[in-house]
Amino acid sequence: MSRSIKKGPYINYKLIKKVKLNNTLKIKKKIKTWARNSIITPEFVGNTFLVHNGNRFISIYITENMVGCKLGEFSPTRIFKGHSGNKKK
Amino acid sequence: MAIISGVNLPNNKKGLISLTYIYGIGKNTAKKILEINNIDINKKVKDWNQKELQKIIKYITKNIKIEGELRTEIQYNIKRLKDIGCYRGIRHRLGLPLRGQRTKNNSRTRKGKRKTIANKKKVIKK
Repeated sequence: MSRSIKKGPYINYKLIKKVKLNNTLKIKKKIKTWARNSIITPEFVGNTFLVHNGNRFISIYITENMVGCKLGEFSPTRIFKGHSGNKKK
Repeated sequence: MAIISGVNLPNNKKGLISLTYIYGIGKNTAKKILEINNIDINKKVKDWNQKELQKIIKYITKNIKIEGELRTEIQYNIKRLKDIGCYRGIRHRLGLPLRGQRTKNNSRTRKGKRKTIANKKKVIKK
């Protein structure tokens, strides 16, 4: 079930605080976060995030196209390396 | 013979069904098109006169995305997902379902025909 429109999109308020700080001071500090469920807003563009995938932090540079997606979509939690015996000769 | 944006509409079918031969128009849209232009749904394509045909073509070109234009739009959307490298984009690249369906079995539409692997160990019965 999708989120109620009344509430609006979920954005982690701590992230917004950090992004605003980054934007006003014009520094490119990487933002470490576990908030995979937070939506990417237009203000995030140009910042780099370190998004946790359960194991380690994956760095994501936010571009304009990514607005509206969630942060977690860009740091995959599962790694598939192929089946055994599927090796190419 | 009625031709709309390079697609031949079958003459001997009702207008409602005939319009669905165009990529991007289903039954619902076809019904809407005919109702707005005051054409009977059950009227066959060969019974349409020029005026009615012109009205339909005008309406479609003005309001609905069909055929090549629609295909390119879809391709562009998929390409966008692939380029930004989000989860759905990755699934598109791998040719697997995007919306969390199971892949242990089924989902053959995305995965294509079954590929059996040669020399796979078989269970030996005693």
